[in-house]
Parts: sequence; C-alpha cells; structure tokens
Amino acid sequence: MIQILTGIQNTSAALDAEQTRLDVISQNIANAHTMHDVDGQPYQRRVVVFENALKAAMEGGNSTMLPSQVARIERDTRAPMKIYNPGNPEADASGMVSVPNINIHEEMADMMSASRTFDANLAVVKNARSMAMQTLSMGRH
Amino acid sequence: MSPLSAIPAYASNLAAQIERLPGKSVSEIPSAMPNVAPVGGDSFSSLLGKMVSEVNAQQQIAGQNISALQSGQNVPLHQAVISMEEASVSFQFMVEVRNKLLESYQEIMRMQV
Repeated sequence: MIQILTGIQNTSAALDAEQTRLDVISQNIANAHTMHDVDGQPYQRRVVVFENALKAAMEGGNSTMLPSQVARIERDTRAPMKIYNPGNPEADASGMVSVPNINIHEEMADMMSASRTFDANLAVVKNARSMAMQTLSMGRH
Repeated sequence: MSPLSAIPAYASNLAAQIERLPGKSVSEIPSAMPNVAPVGGDSFSSLLGKMVSEVNAQQQIAGQNISALQSGQNVPLHQAVISMEEASVSFQFMVEVRNKLLESYQEIMRMQV
C-alpha cells in the first residue's frame, strides 16, 4: 500500500479513542439520575483508560509509532452521593437517597477536553494533507 | 468495474508505444547513463501499472468505507473521511507522475535533430 499520508494511522486510532471517550461521557450524562445500574446499586460513573499500542507495536517490530487506543472502561469507585429527599421511594429511614456519583460539571469539562483533543487530531489530518499537496505541487512550474 | 481499472493497461500500452518509437529503443541507448538497471527487475511499464493499481486499491477502500457508512454499518465517520483523503492525495500523486511523464515525452519529441 502506498504510504502517502504517513502517521495518519496514529491519528485515526486517536480519533477512535476520543470518540469512545465521548460515548462514555454521553452515557454518564444520560445516567446521571439512574438509581439502579446492572448490579442494583446507583449508577457509577464510567471512565475511559487510554494506553498506547506499545505491546502490539513491539510485537510488530515498530516501536516508534505508538497509536493511542482505549484499553478499558472502568468504574469510578467514588461513593454515591447522598441527598436528603424523604419523599423519594428510595429514601432510607433517615430520608437520605443515594444518587449516582456524577457531577455534571465534571462531565462537561471532560467533554470539552475530548472535543478539543478530537479537533487537534483533525488538524493533524488537515495538515498532513496540505503538506502532501504542497509537496506534490513542487513538480509543477 | 472501477473507472481506474482500465488505466494499468493504458499505461503499459503507452510505455510499449514509447519503446516502439523510431530509432533506437531505450534499452539500446549506449551507456550514457550506466547502471540504470530496472528496479527489482521490473520494467518501467510494470512499475507504472503497479502504482496505478495501488491508487485504484486506495479508491476502492475509500468507496467500501463510504458505502459501509452509508448503509449503517459500524464504520467511524473519521475513518471514511481519512480513507477518502488518502485516495484523493494518492490520485493526485498519480496525476502528477503522469503529467511529468507526458511532459518529458513531449520535450523529447520537440528535440531538434
């Protein structure tokens, strides 16, 4: 295969990873009031853990190109927030309700970060393209 | 049938015609430029054909990605767009090579004898 836009595989992997991060953030925001997760407890915030593809790259013999990728999606283990709401059917004897440990502001900040990183990777693609086109125009006169 | 798939045949035809030009063929020109053995034993026309089929393959990958995306399969948008960009740049590269080739051919044809 012609390698005409080198390094673009890394960028593509990073875009994939940021997309997954955005998906997880959307899941967190959508479940900000989910009282029962799959385990019956209040929904726990999910976090994405990135790693670069070092292992795969070492096996492939090229350890200089390290695309980032999503390793796993883990749970944020902070305790659920307790709010006082005695009218809630989920309230305990003292009127406290356990709600998911999701802070909407934190999610918004994460979303901004994901979006900006995505933008940065798109700028890399744009630049790689314009560099290639400029190089091709070298032959013209 | 991809629109580009006829081009390798066209390219080798063009190269064969250049070989058949009146006068000595390229391979008979004495050693003004020594050591210009074909790369890897391939003739120029087969190299050109290979390049064109590579570009064709890029175009096909882009086409597959786009139709997969449009038919609702799980292809990320950026991957489709990146493969389009790659196809576009390598096509541009092929066009530049062709322009350069025709330019040098015409330069030779204009030569005073």
